[in-house]
Amino acid sequence: MTETTVILVLVVVTALGFDFTNGFHDTANAMATSIATGALRPKVAVALSGILNLIGAFLSVEVALTVSNAVVRIQNSDGTPKDSLTSDGGTALLLIVLAGLVGSIVWNLFTWLLGLPSSSSHALFGGLIGATIAGLGWAGVNWNGDGSKLDGVVGKVILPALLSPVIAGVVAAVGTWLIYKITVGVAARFTDNGFRWGQIGSASLVSLAHGTNDAQKTMGVITLALIASGEWTDTKSIPFWVKASCALAIAAGTYLGGWRIIRTLGKGLVEIAPPQGMAAESSSAAVILASSHLGFALSTTHVATGSILGSGVGKPGAQVRWRVAGRMVAAWLITLPSAAVVGALMWFLGDAIGGLGGALVIFLVLLAAAGYMYWHSRKTPVDHNNVNDEWDETAERREPAGTAA
Amino acid sequence: MSNLGFALEGAWKVLLAGLILGAGLPVLFALGIRSLAHGAGGEGAQPRPAGKVMAGTLFAIVVLGVLLGLTYIVASGFGKTISFDHVWPAIVDK
Repeated sequence: MTETTVILVLVVVTALGFDFTNGFHDTANAMATSIATGALRPKVAVALSGILNLIGAFLSVEVALTVSNAVVRIQNSDGTPKDSLTSDGGTALLLIVLAGLVGSIVWNLFTWLLGLPSSSSHALFGGLIGATIAGLGWAGVNWNGDGSKLDGVVGKVILPALLSPVIAGVVAAVGTWLIYKITVGVAARFTDNGFRWGQIGSASLVSLAHGTNDAQKTMGVITLALIASGEWTDTKSIPFWVKASCALAIAAGTYLGGWRIIRTLGKGLVEIAPPQGMAAESSSAAVILASSHLGFALSTTHVATGSILGSGVGKPGAQVRWRVAGRMVAAWLITLPSAAVVGALMWFLGDAIGGLGGALVIFLVLLAAAGYMYWHSRKTPVDHNNVNDEWDETAERREPAGTAA
Repeated sequence: MSNLGFALEGAWKVLLAGLILGAGLPVLFALGIRSLAHGAGGEGAQPRPAGKVMAGTLFAIVVLGVLLGLTYIVASGFGKTISFDHVWPAIVDK
């Protein structure tokens, strides 16, 4: 086994780790509303979402090998790595990818600890951007595209992030408002039961769409690493074991359930009733599918949060906790730069030590950071038993303040 | 055209599609539930079959909308997409 092979194994393991965090970070997007309204029992909800993510991941036959091209210049347009990065057997490219993935995972775990639904795709892109800037300089980043289509960091990440929560929020608010108008005076035994089913259906669509979109990104990153180290040559297909392991990682993550985030989205933002839950999930499903149809890349997290906020705005007399919403928006704004800073630091560290030793050290840093945050999370555990407890504004605010100290 | 132009062009299309499918279908669903309640009749009132028929029709339209979404997800996984060029959706190559 050569040095490169060992580094490649580290990259694959780290990528699967990212896929896993991607799963539990995003369970809330599909299932927070169904859990909050009691349409599904918490364990049933995460199991359903996990299975649909698994199916969704296997459904994506298309190859997402060029996923990194939207933001960084480490690949040619056909998906093969740049020659300048593979001249040393691929370690230059592997180190950038590894450092970027470490940045993404650390940020995903940190926002999970705070119970904030930040975007996993922003974390992935942020980590890769940071590691690329560190490794190749500012010119290694595709900031604006070439002007022929929506591309680059601005076009694929920043603009959609600004627009998509607003769009989803408007759609959900309109849907919620109309639903309440239409069902005024209808007996609760018809509305509650009916909207519960509608909610489960629309949430399932969101889960399936999530599996097809997000698992693909990790598959693309792993295949890129395999090509860079000469273990794989075909840019038109990916190895089956890559597909299977990514599908299992994201499904297992989803099943584990990011209960802290589910709690914030389901209970913290708005007190959700079944009609609102259905309006929110329908809005999310429609906006996610329509935008992927139109090639308008967006984050499931931003859409889901916008929809839930919208369902609070649209219901007459509902209370929206804008303070919680404000914390979320703040987390969105700093996700990309923060993951980038961690990714860049990891690259400098790995590069300074060099070779296999450098890769091993940043992998160990990742394990230490993950272990520390897991240990910290056990002090105030949130799981399927207390996910729906009453939201106490003062207590919820004290916990993250203590975490930061 | 700049990124901003492309983004705004995409955004209003997503908003339109979102309103039609994401708010329109739940509205039909809500109308269906209203019809169902109407069809069941109230305290002492006779059941009204017309309400049930109406509810069934509305729910069927909603199910069709969901199937369209499912078809799109599956089709895009196989490198296909759904074309609305002839109003009626058709599966075509991307």
